[in-house]
Amino acid sequence: MSRTRPGRDDSPDRLYTLTGGRSSSGSDAFDLVTLVVAECDPVPGMQSEHTAILRMCQYPTAVVEIAADLGLPVSIVRILLADLLGTGRISARHPRSAYRLPDPDILEQVLVGLRNL
Amino acid sequence: MTASPSPLRPSALALLVTAVAAGVLCTAAVAAAPSDVRVPLGWFSLFGVLLLSLAAFAVTWLTRSSRLLRGRIAALNADIAARDGHIARLTADAARDTAARTAEAARLAKEHAAELERLKTAHRVELDLVTMTELADRERLGDELRRAESGRAAAMAAAANAAGRMQALATGMLADLREMEHRHADEDVLGDLLHLDHRTAQAGRLADSIAVLTGARSGRRWAKPIVMESILRGAMGRIGGYQRVRLHSTSDAAVAGHGAEGVMHALAELLDNAANFSPPTAEVHVYVEEVPAGIVITVEDSGLVMSEVQLRRAEQAVAGESLDLAGLSGTRLGLAVVGRLARKHGLTVSFRPSARGGTGALMMLPHELISRTPAEAGPAPALVAAPAGAAGARTGEPGADHGPGPRGGAAGSGGAGRAKDRTRSPQDDAPDAAPTASGARPGPADGDPRTGDTGLPQRRRGRTLAAAHPEGPEAAARAARTQGAPTGASQSAARFGSFRQAVRGASAQQPTNPPYPEGNTR
Repeated sequence: MSRTRPGRDDSPDRLYTLTGGRSSSGSDAFDLVTLVVAECDPVPGMQSEHTAILRMCQYPTAVVEIAADLGLPVSIVRILLADLLGTGRISARHPRSAYRLPDPDILEQVLVGLRNL
Repeated sequence: MTASPSPLRPSALALLVTAVAAGVLCTAAVAAAPSDVRVPLGWFSLFGVLLLSLAAFAVTWLTRSSRLLRGRIAALNADIAARDGHIARLTADAARDTAARTAEAARLAKEHAAELERLKTAHRVELDLVTMTELADRERLGDELRRAESGRAAAMAAAANAAGRMQALATGMLADLREMEHRHADEDVLGDLLHLDHRTAQAGRLADSIAVLTGARSGRRWAKPIVMESILRGAMGRIGGYQRVRLHSTSDAAVAGHGAEGVMHALAELLDNAANFSPPTAEVHVYVEEVPAGIVITVEDSGLVMSEVQLRRAEQAVAGESLDLAGLSGTRLGLAVVGRLARKHGLTVSFRPSARGGTGALMMLPHELISRTPAEAGPAPALVAAPAGAAGARTGEPGADHGPGPRGGAAGSGGAGRAKDRTRSPQDDAPDAAPTASGARPGPADGDPRTGDTGLPQRRRGRTLAAAHPEGPEAAARAARTQGAPTGASQSAARFGSFRQAVRGASAQQPTNPPYPEGNTR
């Protein structure tokens, strides 16, 4: 995204128009790492963000990843996801709560290995 | 004389006296005469008496007549003399009068001539004065007109300038707000920011309106075509009652960058009209229809039905035929703005009664304003880079047999070029634009990220995009659509790889860490 430049704004969409003015999803179904899976294909006439989310979530995808892909704030994405969840087009899955992050050393080794690819 | 107008009586008296005297004498003579001569003497004396009487009568008659006639002659003479005298007097009078009159006439003529001369002079003077006054007035009016003209021009320029600065402020503020909206995750803060965002967008629209009316440059220029959905949302985001606007659009057309701002602005004004002139709870519906001549955007409200006259007036206002601001009212700028924009961009705006009970406004976009290609790139401009990045990596993975080197070299530059197009924002005349693009060029080929002073990897602008999908975002997106998603592990790995590469050295504000392990375990 090019929004790193201050004072520049590359999209005419204002965020409040994406959500109809809501700033809160009113549900806590989604946190940053909730996995989202699409339950149906996008249909014509949907909001383009919904289409993008459904397309993106054919395989489980984390909320934060969706937000990064869409280039939208997580709060906004949560509202969009809550809409989709409300109409049954997606389902949300929380990662195992007992999940433990791997040892940072391993991660670092993986990183090095990936860099060497 | 006059006592005895007729000479008959004295004549008769003389006749009688003579006759008596002669009769007496004759009688005496006859008596004295011898008797033998008495009879002849009687006859002769009678005859003589008669003659004598007749003579006396004639003498007396003639004497009297002549005396009478003499008297009359004298009287007539006197009369004639008197008349002569009278005539002479009259003649003299007439002569005197004539002389007097002539003198009077001469005097009057002279007086008249003098008066005429005086009047002529006065008139000339007056005329000169009037002419001079008129000239002075004309000059003064001309001066005033020039002053007014220059004042008007100056006012217009000042207004245009102020509007331009307000536009710039509003634009900058919108960008800042977007920045903040990305930074603050708190929903309350976000709500407030969105509120401010909305207010600022409306203020920006007002500044845009003034700029349009004063003939200033339109505020923003979008370097890239804007898809219809964004046009509609951009327009509705600028009005107060945007939550009442319902969009019905399946069009994937895009509006060319140079006309996008104008179309959005005009549409925003039409939406504002529709929202303002319908009940506060009624919805305003927007339909997009593609027709052979272009694209028709219909704004329908269920508010007041406009009368024929109002419809005609509105049509006239949006016809944009007159460029003067004389007909503007202070509070109704909208239609005049639409008219200007329509004239500028070749839009056709018309009004008709709506089937919903209110008024429908139709705006037709000509083909010149419509472009279709970039609509393929992504659902919305804001989303272009990231989804395309993910998709590009997805499709790139199966064909991984050819190495990253040559491909990166060839396609990377293309990708970088596109990245430049995409990241260049309209008002971006900043000198860093070109270096950005060229800096992105090496792209995926050189794997080493630059390290900054802190020793941490430093992301260079535009590089992420080029690095994430070397074949370019459009190609990536196309491929993503045509090709089904690859399966399971390979797909996850590809996404992970591209994502990692893309965000390597990314700014800390993107919460990117947690999902990685998730992606691998799927």
